[in-house]
Amino acid sequence: MLLQFVINGLITGILYSLAAVGFAIAYNTTHVFHIAAAAVYTAAAYCFFFAVRTVGMPVWAAAGVALAFAAALNLACEVAVYRPLNQRKAAHSVVMIASIGVLAVILNLVAMLFGNETKIIDNTIQPAIRWGSLILSRPQAFQLGLGIAALAAFAVFLRFTSFGLKARAFGNDPALFALFGFGDASTRMGAYAIGGVFLGAASCLSAYDVGMSPHSGMPVLINALVAMIIGGIGRFTACIAGGILLGILQALAVWRFAANWQPAVTFSLLLVFLFFRPQGLFGYKKRIV
Amino acid sequence: MTYLLHIAIMANLYILLVLAANLPAGRVGLLSLCQAAFYGIGAYLAAFFLIQFQLPFVMVAGAVMLAAALVSLLVSYASIKLKGDYFVLATLGFQMLVFTLLYNWISVTRGPYGISGIPGVQLFGWGFGKLSGVGGYFVFSTVLSVAAATLFVHLKRSPFGSLTQAVRDDETALAALGRNPDRIKFQSFFISAAFSALAGLLYASYIGYIDPTSFTLDESIFILSALFIGGVGNVAGPVAGALFVVILPEVLRFVGLPDAVAANLRQIIYGLALVLTMFLRPQGLFGEAEVAK
Repeated sequence: MLLQFVINGLITGILYSLAAVGFAIAYNTTHVFHIAAAAVYTAAAYCFFFAVRTVGMPVWAAAGVALAFAAALNLACEVAVYRPLNQRKAAHSVVMIASIGVLAVILNLVAMLFGNETKIIDNTIQPAIRWGSLILSRPQAFQLGLGIAALAAFAVFLRFTSFGLKARAFGNDPALFALFGFGDASTRMGAYAIGGVFLGAASCLSAYDVGMSPHSGMPVLINALVAMIIGGIGRFTACIAGGILLGILQALAVWRFAANWQPAVTFSLLLVFLFFRPQGLFGYKKRIV
Repeated sequence: MTYLLHIAIMANLYILLVLAANLPAGRVGLLSLCQAAFYGIGAYLAAFFLIQFQLPFVMVAGAVMLAAALVSLLVSYASIKLKGDYFVLATLGFQMLVFTLLYNWISVTRGPYGISGIPGVQLFGWGFGKLSGVGGYFVFSTVLSVAAATLFVHLKRSPFGSLTQAVRDDETALAALGRNPDRIKFQSFFISAAFSALAGLLYASYIGYIDPTSFTLDESIFILSALFIGGVGNVAGPVAGALFVVILPEVLRFVGLPDAVAANLRQIIYGLALVLTMFLRPQGLFGEAEVAK
């Protein structure tokens, strides 16, 4: 029984990790508090829904379309809002407030087009996979397999490609990065495109299992933020560990207490980390400015 | 007429909330996402005092404002310890914790069922000067919001006002001049929480029913949106922002859109207004200060 909770928590945690990676790759490079990521997450799920149910595409192709759409939308936020504000030397909080505005616009456009109620992709009952006393539904198996594959690919990509190195360097010191003659616009755009793909991946995997509503994005983003704090800001792969840890701890909280107190555990954890270990589990220790 | 008075009462309520949010966010430069938490704490405590004891207004208001202001110590502690996004995240955590408590601690707050039958405010207690109906609340809320606006104008002109501005512009320089920035952050959150709680008292006694969904993160973001559209730093900005967000939905109502579309359209207009303000006039329409880093 406990093992089942841990496995469920692990799967939820992988979804948090994917969303956290999607947020963090943009945050760690450009330092924009991209709250509109929640809207990109939601819009990706609806694009997936539209491609499967209205256009009638096969699920894998629809997922591809949704990922491309999420990348494009995330990129559009950067090109249309964050980059121009950055060029005007806007204060950090000005960009964040603009991001709140973008969030409201996209979410409500989605709600206007598709309605406020919950939508599901696939309403057939699918066979579960049994393994001893453990039960895994088919969407869960997808989440586990594809989620781990995507996170592993991300870690490898960041470590071994020139873009990965550039992203880390840009996040570390944008001025020095530009001084060495690298283009900051292309690095920023790359970070947002990849971030969008990961937000979309988290969104589609979750939508395939439990469906979507215009309000499903914000809670995921908040959990992703907590995962990022637990893992450590500034380190790209740390939020993977943070997400998985958060998912398992939340599952244990449900197992030990009750499901309705789960947010209390999450946010107590957030405050404990902020006050006592702001660099997170694996972050670099530095003075917070 | 009742309809217009109701809108005026809600406008007064939001003037209180946005003015209160302006003190930390606009003057001191601390973006907090937990203004709705103080609003909620005020409303729930007010419901408790109004139902249990029929105290006069001054005593209820005093108790509610003081209690919320004491809770704000947690947030001002966070503002001293954490900077930038870390502080924003801490206020987000605090907001979510308060909401979870209001929603799940059913034995005390009645959770999602809410608290109904909250009696009106009694100006002198024990049945004297009991407010009922929109007319009474219109006068009462107008007096409160005008008083609050006057107070905030004075606060801005006072030495305290200059100090809050100094924290926003250059905390280190202020510390070098021998002033304590931590103390100013603490004081501004104290005042801000107290006035948010006062708005909560007004809301609880006017509507007569409260439930946790009025005090969510979305409400916090809504209050901040009103502030940043209207303008930060002075008093005219927050007042204009509050009037904008209260009156716009009523204008849209007369355009004749179906309700579901109108709600979403309203949010889109707020969102666009927010983005445009940040591009064209980051200090807000009627504000005077730059938004702090």
